[in-house]
Amino acid sequence: MVSTFTGRGGPGGGQGVGERENAVMEQELEVGAEPAVPGIRVEGGYKFRLRNLSLYYGERKILEDIELDIPENRITAVIGPSGCGKSSFLRCLNRMNDLVEGSRVEGGVFLDGEDIYRRDCDVTALRRRVGMVFQKPNPFPKTIYENVAFGPRILGVRDRATLDEVVETSLRRAALWDEVKDKLKEPALALSGGQQQRLCIARVLAVEPEVILFDEPCSALDPIATQRIEDLLVELKEKYTIVIVTHNMQQAARASDYTAFFLIERQGDPGRLVEFGETGNLFTNPRDERTERDITGRFG
Amino acid sequence: MENASVLESRSRRFAGKGAALADRLATVAIWFSAMLALALVIGVIAAILWQGLGTALSPSFIFGKPEAMREGGGIWPMVVSSFYLAVLTLSLVLPLGVGAALYLSEFARGGRIVRLVRFGADSLSAVPSVVFGVFGMVVFVIYLGLGYSLMAGALTLTLLNLPTVMRSAEEAVRSVPNSYREAALAMGCSRWEMVKKAVLPVAMPGITTGAILSVGRIVGESAAVVYTVGLFVRKVPWSPFRPAAPMAANIWHMYTEGALVPDWFRVASGEAAFLLLIVLVLNLLARTTAGLVRKKMGYRA
Repeated sequence: MVSTFTGRGGPGGGQGVGERENAVMEQELEVGAEPAVPGIRVEGGYKFRLRNLSLYYGERKILEDIELDIPENRITAVIGPSGCGKSSFLRCLNRMNDLVEGSRVEGGVFLDGEDIYRRDCDVTALRRRVGMVFQKPNPFPKTIYENVAFGPRILGVRDRATLDEVVETSLRRAALWDEVKDKLKEPALALSGGQQQRLCIARVLAVEPEVILFDEPCSALDPIATQRIEDLLVELKEKYTIVIVTHNMQQAARASDYTAFFLIERQGDPGRLVEFGETGNLFTNPRDERTERDITGRFG
Repeated sequence: MENASVLESRSRRFAGKGAALADRLATVAIWFSAMLALALVIGVIAAILWQGLGTALSPSFIFGKPEAMREGGGIWPMVVSSFYLAVLTLSLVLPLGVGAALYLSEFARGGRIVRLVRFGADSLSAVPSVVFGVFGMVVFVIYLGLGYSLMAGALTLTLLNLPTVMRSAEEAVRSVPNSYREAALAMGCSRWEMVKKAVLPVAMPGITTGAILSVGRIVGESAAVVYTVGLFVRKVPWSPFRPAAPMAANIWHMYTEGALVPDWFRVASGEAAFLLLIVLVLNLLARTTAGLVRKKMGYRA
């Protein structure tokens, strides 16, 4: 099954244009086809399926031949040493890599069976379905209310009552409502780091995504704030598919259902997926000796 | 390794007595030039206020009707001309300058066009304002037939102020953290929605500061308006297509050709003091507004 897709962000890499050179794959891949990693059973379905995914920044190959299926309504952790391309991988799933000048994608990324790098893919619609929470909390310098209402307003919601309702539901789901319900009109930047991060989660929830990508969401937070976010992840997976990049092995072990282990063999090599499996199995009984070496090394 | 050792021996050589003396001399020299600069500024301001403040602060002068032949005239039409001109110019130069800044920093991809626009702006800002004045007179006053008018002056001042407005707006836009752009795009914003909702609001304090400062420059500009707007009017100019007389042009007119008015010196220095006060207030405003807006947004100073 060899085919090449090229996602390209316009001349010099703006957002928006995904270019397809070969369209064989879409027909071949149907929901229910064999999973990329044999031997794993998943109840429910797969949200994302990645085939032969390679990512380039200019001449440099960042990721090579990633084959992976991401289960629906589960938490999938992506772990690996720094520089192995975990964050770049995550940004392939909502095409945020398009913003990197000279970035190029080969292979296919299928969301519910549809290639998100196809030419006519609406990237803004894709990003509404696949929300993202960043490493550093990045609320807008607006009020708490306006931060959560940001997405709905972009979607054209004007009605005050509807907005109020969306803001409240989103803040409740992000476990922030009780702390901020009396100060919705206060600036978001006055909140603590952990609160800001939950506000960012509420902001994403307000556009009703299907998938939420977390890019090391706790790396700037203290242990208590981290714990709250982890608890929140577990609640959120009821409704959403979650992919979380983390450099913290314990966090992956605690909070995720499945884990993908990425590794970069030598300096300058592209990152590769070494092993993917149920989190419990991957940590206690890794199939690949590299996984074992790295994980035990970090736990020890 | 070798480089490091060379550096080390050099720094050791410099650390002798000579270096300490040079350091002290340099400190004194730098302190002296700073104090001199400050003294000059204060001296100029004090001299102007000394001459004219008494006149400038009397309402009958500010709101009074100008006299062409007799003494005791006021400057109200000039005051209105100056602010009218500032509003007209801003309404032209702000959209142009901010638009160009947004294009350069958010939309332009190719390096060549960006370099060309920058080069054009830099060249414009190096041109003396009197040249703009002559250009404005030839093109707007004569060729386009606008005559001596606020509109001709506003168009000329738009050209004159475009580079600085553009630069300050671009700086404001570029200082918006990328994390806001990422957040907006990841929410499914188009590029324009991102700029409108996440970049412009955050850049607004900076853009406002630039705008207030350019009001100061517009109100204070003389050479460019002498050739395009007019030197003296007796009635308040309500139409932008009528001749007017901004304060700066009128001051120049009074000093050079105003001898028909017996108290030309009183009028000119009063007007100069009033203009100076306005520019000072505008600069203070520019310094404080940005901070206030940023505070309201929740940035900790």
